Amino acid sequence: MKLLVILLATIFAQANEQYAAGNYAEAAAMYQQVLAEQPSATAYYNLGNAYFKQGELSQSILAYERSLRLDPQNKDARYNLRFAQSRITDNITDNQAFFLSTFLSNVRNLLRQSTWTWLSLVSFVLCLAMALLFLLSSNTIAKKTGFSLAVILLVFALSSLAAAHSLDKRDTLRQEAIITQGIVTAKASPDRSGTELFTLHEGTKVRITETLNEWCNVTVGNYQGWIQSQNLERI
Amino acid sequence: MKRILTSLFGVFCVLGLLAEDVQFRAQAPNRVIAGKPFQLTYTINQRARDLQPPEFNGFDYLAGPYTSQSSSTSFVNGKRSSTFTLTYTYTLMGLDPGDFTIGPASITCDGQKYTSNGVRITVLPPDQNAQPSNQSSQSGQSGSTGSTSSTSSARSGDIFVRTVVTKTNVYEQEALQVSYRLYVAGVDFAQMGNTIKLPEFTGFLKQELELGDRQFELEHYNNRNYQAVTLVSYLLYPQHAGDLKIEPAQFEAILREQVRRQSRSIFDDFFGTYENVSRSLTAPATTIHVKALPNGKPANFSGGVGQFTLTPSISTTDLQANDAVTLTIDIKGSGNMKLLKTPSVDWPEGFEPYDPKVTNNYKTTASGYSGSKTIEYLAIPRAAGQYTIPALSFSYFDIQSGQYKTLSTPEYTLNVRRAPGQAANEGEAQTYTAVNKENIKELGTDIRYINPNMPPVNNRVASSALSIKALLFLDLIVLVLAMLIYIIFRRYMRENADASHMRYKRASKVAQKRLKLAQTLLTGDNSAFYAEIEKAAFSYLSDRLRIPTAELTKDNIADLLRQKGVDNALIDQVTEVLSTAEFARYAPTSGSEKQALYDATVNIINLLENQKI
Repeated sequence: MKLLVILLATIFAQANEQYAAGNYAEAAAMYQQVLAEQPSATAYYNLGNAYFKQGELSQSILAYERSLRLDPQNKDARYNLRFAQSRITDNITDNQAFFLSTFLSNVRNLLRQSTWTWLSLVSFVLCLAMALLFLLSSNTIAKKTGFSLAVILLVFALSSLAAAHSLDKRDTLRQEAIITQGIVTAKASPDRSGTELFTLHEGTKVRITETLNEWCNVTVGNYQGWIQSQNLERI
Repeated sequence: MKRILTSLFGVFCVLGLLAEDVQFRAQAPNRVIAGKPFQLTYTINQRARDLQPPEFNGFDYLAGPYTSQSSSTSFVNGKRSSTFTLTYTYTLMGLDPGDFTIGPASITCDGQKYTSNGVRITVLPPDQNAQPSNQSSQSGQSGSTGSTSSTSSARSGDIFVRTVVTKTNVYEQEALQVSYRLYVAGVDFAQMGNTIKLPEFTGFLKQELELGDRQFELEHYNNRNYQAVTLVSYLLYPQHAGDLKIEPAQFEAILREQVRRQSRSIFDDFFGTYENVSRSLTAPATTIHVKALPNGKPANFSGGVGQFTLTPSISTTDLQANDAVTLTIDIKGSGNMKLLKTPSVDWPEGFEPYDPKVTNNYKTTASGYSGSKTIEYLAIPRAAGQYTIPALSFSYFDIQSGQYKTLSTPEYTLNVRRAPGQAANEGEAQTYTAVNKENIKELGTDIRYINPNMPPVNNRVASSALSIKALLFLDLIVLVLAMLIYIIFRRYMRENADASHMRYKRASKVAQKRLKLAQTLLTGDNSAFYAEIEKAAFSYLSDRLRIPTAELTKDNIADLLRQKGVDNALIDQVTEVLSTAEFARYAPTSGSEKQALYDATVNIINLLENQKI
């Protein structure tokens, strides 16, 4: 175990040197070696940079997304992801998306799942404490504060739980994917002869709602269509 | 007469002085054929004597020197000019093929010795007449000197055009020369005809070469000596890789041929009758093998193929703001100079660059353009400071070594001083004018740099992870705990409440008991009596008000009673009793006073009992 740690650190340092020297392909290969043993937000972030410098937009977006899954507070990864996304061809305008749902999903993505669960637990404990204060205190002010705090904390605990559950679902179902093919045509039915509905370009994030053999039913903004699964990669 | 002579002599002297310097030159053909005599002449433009010829090594001395002299005088626009030439002619003959040099000769003129130039002579082997048929086999065999004759089979009269290319294996953009050369032997060549059809040179960039003075010269080719002349010559730059074919070229030559007529007159025999005959000549096609430039072109590849050197210079490295600075690079060498891209200079921010000025100074030569290309970059710094002009690099493909080479200028550090007008701290009368605020100028965007720190290898994430099931389970436990706490606390409260209620109910009875005891003391000890009265009152109030005795003082009793809604008259009575009991405890009192206090206490207890507290 100790040996592996040293080995990984060496590969990581070499990859950094290769990156600094401009040998991005070598650097990317080395970061992947490290990631195979020890997935980490930093290694994914660096891998994303190495891919971006090679012009592999979709792979870099994938790596940044994975990095953010592991560490949602990494500002650099967030910046670079946005930077890479600004380079992709597709401009997704989701007219149906309610702004609140986007906001909520952004809030949800701010923290890791385990953080949300811990937060939920702590706030639930506090909520119960406040409820006891309300029930048992004979003081009117204490009763009032206890009641309102308990309600607020209960709401917070439940929403944290919802966030955690949603993240759990996201990480287990892995419904989000990135288009890796340069241009992909989405069909109306899961076969080659299906009516062509729309085209997607490399790097666009899609949501897989259904899979059938090697076909995935994806949703992008207002559009929905079937794409062959070799043209995309799940985050 | 003597005077005239002297004056004439004087005129001659002046003429001699006026005449140019003594010129003594040797002249001979560059190429001669072995076994054929040729003439070597020495010419001098002054009267001279004592010609001492060099040794004619490698040549047979046949005859000479024959001396001849000529002089001419002419008047042009009233000016008299005269020339005089003295010529010595030797007849020599080459023995063996090869290159020979005839050393300088010397001559004495006006007591001074002059030496001539030496002469280089190439002796070509003599014709070998017996092989008329190897012409075609020769032409097919080599591409580089590929040739074919387009002549009639007659060996005696031969005229053809060869396609001569300098190289057949070249790199892209590497210059090669293609010439069409006319060879004439044994026929009477008059002139070239007008019909010339040159190939398209598809795939090449062509540049016609100036041939200057075209003269026939002897050339030994295919075991025969020809009079040869280059008709036209091009410099070609292949534009892409592959086998590029140069199509055949068509020329027309006009020959003079003797006409043989049946009816021969005496004049025909004497003068001969000639007729101009046109003959079409075809120069053969050739193929050029063009190699692509190898992979791994540097990013700053200029497109240059050839050999170049770079000489950078900068006008100044220490200057004032708003003064111009010029960076000059001088690219010298040979190659496709015309196609060289002008490298660009990354001037630091704050420099106002101008378009570079390019001065081309190159000539078309057989090996491509050669000469120099001077590029001047002018920029004006607008703010004081230390600036670094990054190295400017220029890459080209070196044909000699077959690899890419990069030339670069050094990095220049410029010290830009404040312009006098810009200085703010001169003298006392400082005026600070408003500075024009500028937004941060975004020069470019890029992703942020990698994080070089290896993340710590541990399972912290895994250990701190809390699954949703575990969370719900923990939530349940906490909920159960909270309920337990609630139940226990509630029961405790209820019991507590029960106890105080009991006391509340029994308050009057307890008070009665105590009062009874006090009654027995009416006649006895004062202090004990009052203490008992006080205790009775306090304990009754404590029970009735459900407040522990310890928290009860004489002061807060009134407040508490008032809160409970007891009327003020009764409260006054209570306070009266309490203060009397306290006061009388330490003062001697009579029995009647005790009785009165006792009655008052019984009275207030009865009254409070009736009150709804």
